Amino acid sequence: MNAPDRYERFVVPEGMKKVTYERDMKIMNAGTFTAQREDHTVGNVIRMQLHRDRSVLFAGYKLPHPLEYKIIVKIQTTSQSSPMQAYNLALNDLDKELEHLKRAFEAEISHKQNEYY
Amino acid sequence: MDMSSSYQRVPSVRIREMKDDFLKFELRDTDASIANALRRIMIAEVPTLAIDLVEIEANSSVLNDEFIAHRLGLIPLKSEKAVNMLLSRDCNACDGDGRCDFCSVEFTLDVKCTTDQTLDVTSQDLRSSDLSVVPVDSLGQNTGSMGDAALEQRGILIVKLRRGQELKLRAIARKGIGKDHAKWSPAATVTFQYEPEIHLNETLLETLTLDQKREWVESSPTKVFDIDQVTQQVVVVDPEAYAYDEEVIKKADAMGKPGLVEIISREDSFIFTVESTGAIKAADMFLNAINILRQKLDGVRLSFDTQEADDQFGELGAHMRGGL
Ligand SMILES: [Zn+2]
Repeated sequence: MNAPDRYERFVVPEGMKKVTYERDMKIMNAGTFTAQREDHTVGNVIRMQLHRDRSVLFAGYKLPHPLEYKIIVKIQTTSQSSPMQAYNLALNDLDKELEHLKRAFEAEISHKQNEYY
Repeated sequence: MDMSSSYQRVPSVRIREMKDDFLKFELRDTDASIANALRRIMIAEVPTLAIDLVEIEANSSVLNDEFIAHRLGLIPLKSEKAVNMLLSRDCNACDGDGRCDFCSVEFTLDVKCTTDQTLDVTSQDLRSSDLSVVPVDSLGQNTGSMGDAALEQRGILIVKLRRGQELKLRAIARKGIGKDHAKWSPAATVTFQYEPEIHLNETLLETLTLDQKREWVESSPTKVFDIDQVTQQVVVVDPEAYAYDEEVIKKADAMGKPGLVEIISREDSFIFTVESTGAIKAADMFLNAINILRQKLDGVRLSFDTQEADDQFGELGAHMRGGL
């Protein structure tokens, strides 16, 4: 059988970089990020967060092939920002949002438990 | 450049119902990408423990060795400690074939049928080396059926033996995720739906006779509306029962009363339903999913050398443009 190993989907092979970045040679403030061993879960979340950024002119992601375990994120920004800056800001904002969500959920759980006991 | 800019949202949650293996809650002020990422992670990336290696010493049952190994793998195990364990792939303390506290839990099973009565071999026959990691069923945590003698806990059936047949084996449970194999998924179901907002046009409704109201209310395949017995007015009894089928809208149009109802789905509010296999608590599935999503997002941060290489590249480009 020549089926790829199942862990290939989430284990970055030795010597391979998790994330790479390539500038667009033709368009200013545009570039492509490639994240290895990630899928729609992360790709869609980053794209939607980038859409909230007013200095982002374009943000899109794709999973090029179901057996190529990577996502590609393309970003173009205004001169006020840069793809890297927008990408970092999106990740920071998402992290803060999730940290808040975690706290809110934990508070709600203890609130709910107090109701019962 | 405005370094203080932020587009962070501040989501809120309200739990409606919480049991060990069931959770229903509202998630507000975020978008579908976050809701869907958390749903996907609960199904495929929250780790649990499951039997992954089986050494069969004796098997004279009607099922072959690999069939039994597969069935053992599918038994949900209490996996509260999975988050603090290592994947055997990442474990440096052992070679991954068991008897290692960091990455595995050992089970043994030794059953022989000596009577004419068919013997059921179940998950309760598995002996665990770790009392916190046991098949979910043997805890008798189905409190709803407690005291009901007919529903005594008998575990999950693995195989049936007749007189003279035996099954003896050693099994190693390892940490894993649903993405690798569905046996590691803690999720029975995880779903979310948009919260519908239903606005009735009261003035237009009053132009209908009681029979017409009844006809319109009954056009919905799910029970979303009803007629108040006292006031004879149409009321919304269960907005979430609405399945976005638009039947009531079509009916209103057909009755010559377009605009009788307006239904919008709030795209920043979600109702989540989480059902666990019992491997971990439903509430912990959600909390773990939040942590895992944060780790995943942290994992795709640009490394310092990638950022620096691009900075140098940018300077080089500027230099060349300036030089021309
Ligand atoms: Zn180990």
